[in-house]
Amino acid sequence: MQAHVIPGIDEAELLDPLHALWRRADVSRIALSGTPLGLQPSPYVQAAWRDRRVGATGHVRVAALHDGVRLAFRLEWEDASRDAVLTDDDRFADAAAVMLPAAAEAPIYTMGAPGLPVTAWYWRADEQQAREIVAEGVGSSRTVARDTVRAAGVWQAGRWSVVIARSLTAGGPGAVQGLGTGAAIGFGVAIWEGGSGERAGLKSWSGPAWQSLTLEPTPTARS
Amino acid sequence: MTQRQLAMVLDLNKCIGCQTCTIACKRLWTRDAGMEHMWFNTVNTQPGRGTPRDWEKMGGGFRAGMPQPGRLPRRGEFGDAWRYNHDDVFFGGQGADAQLRIQGEAPDWGPNWDEDQGGGEYPNGYHFYLPRLCNHCTHPACLAACPRKAIVKRPKDGIVLVDEDRCRGFRFCMEACPYKKIYFNQARKLSQKCIFCFPRIEQGVAPACARQCPGRVRFVGYRDDRNAPIWKLVEQWKVALPLHPEHGTEPNVFYVPPLAPYRFDAQGDVDESRPRIPDEYLESLFGPAVRDALATLKTERARVQGRGRSELMDLLIGYRWKDMFGGFDRDPATIEWRPA
Repeated sequence: MQAHVIPGIDEAELLDPLHALWRRADVSRIALSGTPLGLQPSPYVQAAWRDRRVGATGHVRVAALHDGVRLAFRLEWEDASRDAVLTDDDRFADAAAVMLPAAAEAPIYTMGAPGLPVTAWYWRADEQQAREIVAEGVGSSRTVARDTVRAAGVWQAGRWSVVIARSLTAGGPGAVQGLGTGAAIGFGVAIWEGGSGERAGLKSWSGPAWQSLTLEPTPTARS
Repeated sequence: MTQRQLAMVLDLNKCIGCQTCTIACKRLWTRDAGMEHMWFNTVNTQPGRGTPRDWEKMGGGFRAGMPQPGRLPRRGEFGDAWRYNHDDVFFGGQGADAQLRIQGEAPDWGPNWDEDQGGGEYPNGYHFYLPRLCNHCTHPACLAACPRKAIVKRPKDGIVLVDEDRCRGFRFCMEACPYKKIYFNQARKLSQKCIFCFPRIEQGVAPACARQCPGRVRFVGYRDDRNAPIWKLVEQWKVALPLHPEHGTEPNVFYVPPLAPYRFDAQGDVDESRPRIPDEYLESLFGPAVRDALATLKTERARVQGRGRSELMDLLIGYRWKDMFGGFDRDPATIEWRPA
């Protein structure tokens, strides 16, 4: 998949999932599946979900754009129920995240490993701010920043459209190596269907292998 | 590994259901936004449906060491924090015409909804009060359930705490806890529960629910302190038992089961052959060991009735209030408390 470059994007337009800008992006349809129960770090979750289906979302349409400064993903998926308010204690919110390697050899399958972190740009329908998350293995995810990742979601006619963006050059523990050099980087997508009780490791994901993303070189870089 | 374990014993023969413990806890710990509906300590009438409603049918815990699925209680099953027309009543200028009323939808449950209903038929009706708090279990189902390791059991005293910086409000702990003593804070989107008043414990002060109890119901201390009441009641006399031991979490809150008055027979005479609270019912709560515990209590009570002495009865009476707290008997008024 390629993220086209549009120099000088207005951030408000970029973060609007319904903005015409996004018609200029390539769209990939990525099939999703439920995360394997054996990957759940909690024996309780393994027992409680043994007979329940994990992975309520079958596929996601992914697009990406950048302007040389920030990279944005647009995710669109079908969801008959908008779960954006925790109206009771047994309700969960819809959520989505894009995962990127924060170390060259970081495995996506286990959400990184000790010393091999991954970063996730995480949006949840009931939270005002998106989160930049870093993980070094299943169950180790921690929020490292709440002001670096910007996201916005719109639910309309049975589908969510969500844009998740971050600076290409953001430092800190969630810095992504090689972003912006024109080389291919890996990414993964996860969708949580709150109405089905999906949260934490219970989600639909793009699978145990990194998807490939290249950033179209910026005009200045090209010259 | 837990090096030492703090514990609590509650003598149900002395609990009068006054809820002083409940309020002592409420005033200390659950007054912030998002905590309005929380009662880390509840007192319910038994037999009864409890808090949350029918919590004993919600699963969780372990069977043969394997985690058992549990059901996540809804807010209304705990009993929400009802809103009242306080402004009308106190400031509306309507005098005695304004009545205090719950605003919005009429609730169908609350944290003490079936108070004093109990069981049995006249003239042999019966009930007793069951105060409940987090059991600070030796094998906490909540801790095992959390995929984020956001629940910790402190090695130095076995207190089980939710790490609010790690918790993301996924509520697997609430599902897995067979005692349903964990609440969800909708304002902060995280789980919260009894902390065994650890900031008091660290200053040598017993938890508020224990210290404030007018009935001297609650004993506090380390389980291995052989000179203190906890060890004597649990290990030596074996009259203090965990609630629903079948869940396999090994609670560290124990109960001295209630001895009820004898029954009346059809002629209205006292029938000493059967207890008013059926043994089967107490066994359903405290396991088969309750029968021996009740027998011991009866024997020792009879000893005192016969003008003898009983170390157990002296212990349970709690002649010396401070001796009930296993060394955690410092007066909180002598401490300069600072906000965290």
